[in-house]
Amino acid sequence: MSTKRKRSFSDIVDEYFENIEEMMEQMQAMLTEKPSWNQKACTIEPLRDIVVTPTEVIVTVDLPYAEEKTVKIKPLEKNVLEIRAKMKKKVKFNELGITHRKGEFQEFHCQTRIPVPVHTKKMKILFKKGILKICLPRKEEFTIPIE
Amino acid sequence: MTEEVEIIEKKQVPSDAVMLFGFPDVGLVGVIAASHLISETKDLEEVAYIDSKLLPPLAVLHEGLPYSPIRIFGNKNVLLAISETPISTETIYPIMNALIEWGRNKKAKTMISLTGIPIQERQDVQELKVFAAASNTELLKSVQDKNVEILKEGYIVGPQAIMLRRCAQLDLPALVLLAQCYFNYPDPEAAAEVLNGLARITGIKVDVSQLLEKGEEIRLKARDVMKRTQQELSKMKKTQEYDIPLYIT
Repeated sequence: MSTKRKRSFSDIVDEYFENIEEMMEQMQAMLTEKPSWNQKACTIEPLRDIVVTPTEVIVTVDLPYAEEKTVKIKPLEKNVLEIRAKMKKKVKFNELGITHRKGEFQEFHCQTRIPVPVHTKKMKILFKKGILKICLPRKEEFTIPIE
Repeated sequence: MTEEVEIIEKKQVPSDAVMLFGFPDVGLVGVIAASHLISETKDLEEVAYIDSKLLPPLAVLHEGLPYSPIRIFGNKNVLLAISETPISTETIYPIMNALIEWGRNKKAKTMISLTGIPIQERQDVQELKVFAAASNTELLKSVQDKNVEILKEGYIVGPQAIMLRRCAQLDLPALVLLAQCYFNYPDPEAAAEVLNGLARITGIKVDVSQLLEKGEEIRLKARDVMKRTQQELSKMKKTQEYDIPLYIT
């Protein structure tokens, strides 16, 4: 006698979407798997984080060795920010413990997609302890009134 | 030791030592602290390493020679397990259970996991606090007597959580020391604080000035390990440490 439990339609749909989500995550990981530096452009990609609050989006970027006055934030297309910052000193591969590659880095560079609509012109920027903090007010979105 | 995880000894391992753990986690606090401890304590040398098919297919190269990503360093007073690669969620249980069993066989007098606890607006905090959780009440009391605050309620997630639970189960004295830190960025300041906390509790002292002076260099070097660690932290639902617990009494 089979012990296999019959699954409800909603179980099958949930599983289907979970599988798709997992596949999407794997594909995303494969697409984004690349070195965190660009030898040709002499740039390093910094670590960054995005937090969405009800009123604003906060982007933080870890920029050790960055010179505050060289930090540049440029809105590219809709909801994409380009962040650049020059380093106080050039860093060679061998200073990072890598002796089999040649090259040096003098700038941080990254592009970050903001997940919700924001007012890029109203952004506030703070730089403290080598951490860049960008606060972007969210655009008011359509709300459904409660009846 | 479990069948899946083998701990290979290279040298004679001391008994009655304090066994420390420094694994990739929030702010890489444990790994940075453990690396600093190794470089500052001249007689800490590799005494054992983990061999397991559960580990990713990689070798860590040092001076052209291959090493396991999880190694145990030791001298007559200290055993220190350090991982140079994040431990995936699926392998945390077998790896931690094997290390605890091994430490138990070596009669480790206390097991201490060095790690971090993330806080928001970390860059605005001048003095970082160190918290502790323990496997028994006597140890908690002794930690409190040394002015280390207790992490009374909440969740801890990751290898240190398994270590603490398993040691409580086996009635082994164990501590988790957690320094306030960044979630996603390497935090040498927090590593220095956790080492200061360790010194207060155990008397294992190291000079942390180099750790603070070389802070920017460490943050730059640790970027790629942090990035890979972030991926594992997300899989193990590390953000649960921010959750407000529901206790049913």
